[in-house]
Amino acid sequence: MKKHQWTGMLLGLCLGVMPALASQSKIPRLEFSDQRLENGLRVIIALDRTAPVFSIAVTYNVGSRNERPGRTGFAHLFEHMMFQGSENVGKGEHFILVLNNGGGMNGSTSEDRTNYFEQLPKNQLDLALFLEADRMRSLAVNQTNLENQRRTVQEERRLGIDNQPYGKSELEIDNLSYDNFAYKHSVIGSMVDLEAANVDDVKDFFRIYYAPNNAVLTLVGDLEPRETLEKVKKYFGSIPSQPPPTKVDLTEPDHYGERRSTIEDPLARLPQILISYHIPPGNTPESYALQVLGNILGTGQSSRLYQHLVKDKQLATSIRVMPDSRIGPSLFYITAMPRPGVKPEDLEKAIYEEIEAVKKDGVTAQEMEKARTQFLRNQIQSRQSTLFTAIRLGQYAVYFDDPNLINTIFDRYSAVSAEQVKQAAQKFLVTTGRTVVTTVPATVPGKSAAGR
Amino acid sequence: MKRSILIVLLNLGLIGGLAVAALAQGPGGKGESLSTVQRLNRAPVSKEILRVKLPRPRETKLANGLTVLVLEQHKLPTVAFALWVKTGALADPKDLPGLAKSTAEMLREGTTHRTSAQLAAEVDSIGASLGASADFGSSISTVAASGLVQNADRILDLMSDVVLNPTFPGEELEKYRKRQLAQLEEQRAEPDFLGREKFFQVLYQDFPASVVSATPESMKRISPENLKEFHARYYVPDNALLGVVGDVQFDQIVSIVQKYFGGWKSTAVTPPVVGKLPPPAPAKITLVDRPSSVQTNILAGDFAVRRNDPDYIPLMVMNRILGGGPSARLFLNLRENHGYTYGAYSFFTSDTYPGAWIATTEVRNDVTDGSMQELVAEFKRIRTEKVPDAELEEARNSIVARFALSLEQPAQLLSSWMTVNYYKLPEDYWDRYPEDVVKVGPEVVQRAATKYVDLDHLQFVCVGDGKQIKDALKKYGPVEVYNTEGKRLE
Repeated sequence: MKKHQWTGMLLGLCLGVMPALASQSKIPRLEFSDQRLENGLRVIIALDRTAPVFSIAVTYNVGSRNERPGRTGFAHLFEHMMFQGSENVGKGEHFILVLNNGGGMNGSTSEDRTNYFEQLPKNQLDLALFLEADRMRSLAVNQTNLENQRRTVQEERRLGIDNQPYGKSELEIDNLSYDNFAYKHSVIGSMVDLEAANVDDVKDFFRIYYAPNNAVLTLVGDLEPRETLEKVKKYFGSIPSQPPPTKVDLTEPDHYGERRSTIEDPLARLPQILISYHIPPGNTPESYALQVLGNILGTGQSSRLYQHLVKDKQLATSIRVMPDSRIGPSLFYITAMPRPGVKPEDLEKAIYEEIEAVKKDGVTAQEMEKARTQFLRNQIQSRQSTLFTAIRLGQYAVYFDDPNLINTIFDRYSAVSAEQVKQAAQKFLVTTGRTVVTTVPATVPGKSAAGR
Repeated sequence: MKRSILIVLLNLGLIGGLAVAALAQGPGGKGESLSTVQRLNRAPVSKEILRVKLPRPRETKLANGLTVLVLEQHKLPTVAFALWVKTGALADPKDLPGLAKSTAEMLREGTTHRTSAQLAAEVDSIGASLGASADFGSSISTVAASGLVQNADRILDLMSDVVLNPTFPGEELEKYRKRQLAQLEEQRAEPDFLGREKFFQVLYQDFPASVVSATPESMKRISPENLKEFHARYYVPDNALLGVVGDVQFDQIVSIVQKYFGGWKSTAVTPPVVGKLPPPAPAKITLVDRPSSVQTNILAGDFAVRRNDPDYIPLMVMNRILGGGPSARLFLNLRENHGYTYGAYSFFTSDTYPGAWIATTEVRNDVTDGSMQELVAEFKRIRTEKVPDAELEEARNSIVARFALSLEQPAQLLSSWMTVNYYKLPEDYWDRYPEDVVKVGPEVVQRAATKYVDLDHLQFVCVGDGKQIKDALKKYGPVEVYNTEGKRLE
């Protein structure tokens, strides 16, 4: 998925000049309208006439952070229920109507939001608006469909977690890192809690969180702005608003020491190290500094961890660095696979030495420039797809109340100085905020030893 | 971690949208209540199908024989290059699986002008991407590069350097070898890999497409000389096709291509001899016993067609109805009606040799039996029952209507035209494609199903915990059992 907006602005290669490209590429500015209907629904519309298509995303301000103990995994199970029919759309008919008319669609759930999206040929605008409005207004819930989706989601968990090497470690890192329940538990949830979810839970969740005033509707593509807004009003305008949901306290208590655990994984054949550090919420100056640091440490083959630990010292076969960006307290993840024969603790130590080097000597101007250039390229590329643009606008609106971040995020990222990167490393990549989950293969009776 | 969970996971190969209509109703499962798909037909649907024409690339040929396709797309200041070398893993010697892949992946590890570290630094400093690959089972190797159009010259400089001047340094190969050996070990933990490995073995037997991975033995043996020889023999302009898409102007970009690829020496290429496809084996079930599995990964399939086979489009329409996405029969039956799985799909591959048609799903252990029953029932149904007109029409329309969406994806557009060139499809292939799709009638679908969903030769591969699922599998045919190392147990 990628996306964008109108073009023709500053193209390097224009008319008959020479190959040595002229001006510096810039991110095309995305113009969009942004308003609220009387019922509180936030509507954002952006035009892009490159192809005769449009994309729609409905982003609800609810995610696994809103779940209560005993109902982990519910926000996501609920997402599945949104495809099970509403007053005027039959069970599964959503898939059929979108796909059979040439579109694509999906939904996704994270800690902080749930979104639903479609991409269709431009003549199917009414269809998309009807489908999204009907389920926002009148979700149909029954026991049989809940059972069915409970099974489906349990299979999704088995597929993604329980039947995969390192699956349990992925859940354990968050579980161990956080004390606040909101982010401590997984999005996919526990099997026991999924089993406990009932029809009343679904109805309550729908009433509380799936109201127009808790949602953002974004439309991007080959659209007539005025007509589109009129249609949005027609389909969504009469859906009643609800009292705003209670805000979840995401505050994470202070941490006073490193946390560690070791998981014996019968499905893994090689060890793995997963490290997390507590970092500030997304869209803060410190978060951007840590994004830059993440790039310098782990993005591309020229990154420090790849060059030093994978290539030079050959301690790892792969290393990934992923600073995340949530509404609340976030984590800076590092995942590394030790090369066979290398002790996980030696690799772990070497990773810390790289982090200490940043704290002591900082990063170079060249590394800063490289991070900015890579970010610029990714931002430009990401405008290719109307769908991705619609999703991002919705996410920025829900997370940070700032859809215009799509135009300003590069400036914020570029504003980070080398000194800020160094300071962020010193302040946040510290032992007291660290959690480490080491996975080691467990021998299972009956499993062949040949591969070891 | 792993932030987001999706409602359905779409395999790339499926390219999204799909068919079906009517209620998918298999024979009832084991006492599970059926939660049936229901159509109310109240949503406003535009009956018009947007007919769009794919923009065409301009083509030229350099003096050394390199064909260049240029597709101008001015939405964003970006550019992407794709070089197809018309020899791939299919040409790997039997005793050296992974040769084409290693050759491709080692291109970035050193040239006569730059070391591996210098290449990495230069590529990253301009925010570009540069990579090469040779997928197992494919007749081509690919080198891909992309970035901002202001860097087009530097990107082509780097790309041509790795294509024309790689040195395959011994020291880098040693490092690569160790990383690969670890990866070969790691992938045996993944049920998905084990399924693919066994499926292609049982389907293709001695044919090179049976190979889906290097082996520890081949990775230990492979030498810089092997790579140099493969490169010298096949990475030549006559044997390649370069595609360009992005914010470029034809004459200018061709002159830059000429500047960097013009000096590529042309030599005669002897196409590698690829053996003959074996006759299809009798239907059977192959179990890969993976203790501790909580799901069974099921694959079922047969030989499909070459890319230029006239049956390609009928097969595509048939597949779309049967398993090509979340509105197709397999998904609606196994997931929406039965709750057996998170996803159930079918797809097919095609190349210069007949590819494979494959249905695939992952189900919890105790519904392995029920899932096998539903799969077989759906296979029989599409073979024996005429597809209802409405369902067929929706399937065809979905394919045609989806064309509009592809206009948003320049890389995919380019690849579509490179496909026409490489497989020697008619020049107007994509112009006629919508009509060709619409022409497919119910008899043609049924004929495709009878021919390609071939129950007499259908190969089932199941990866799962043998002691929990073996007895259930035996109901559906003779079962051969292997362990995860590939050793036959029974």
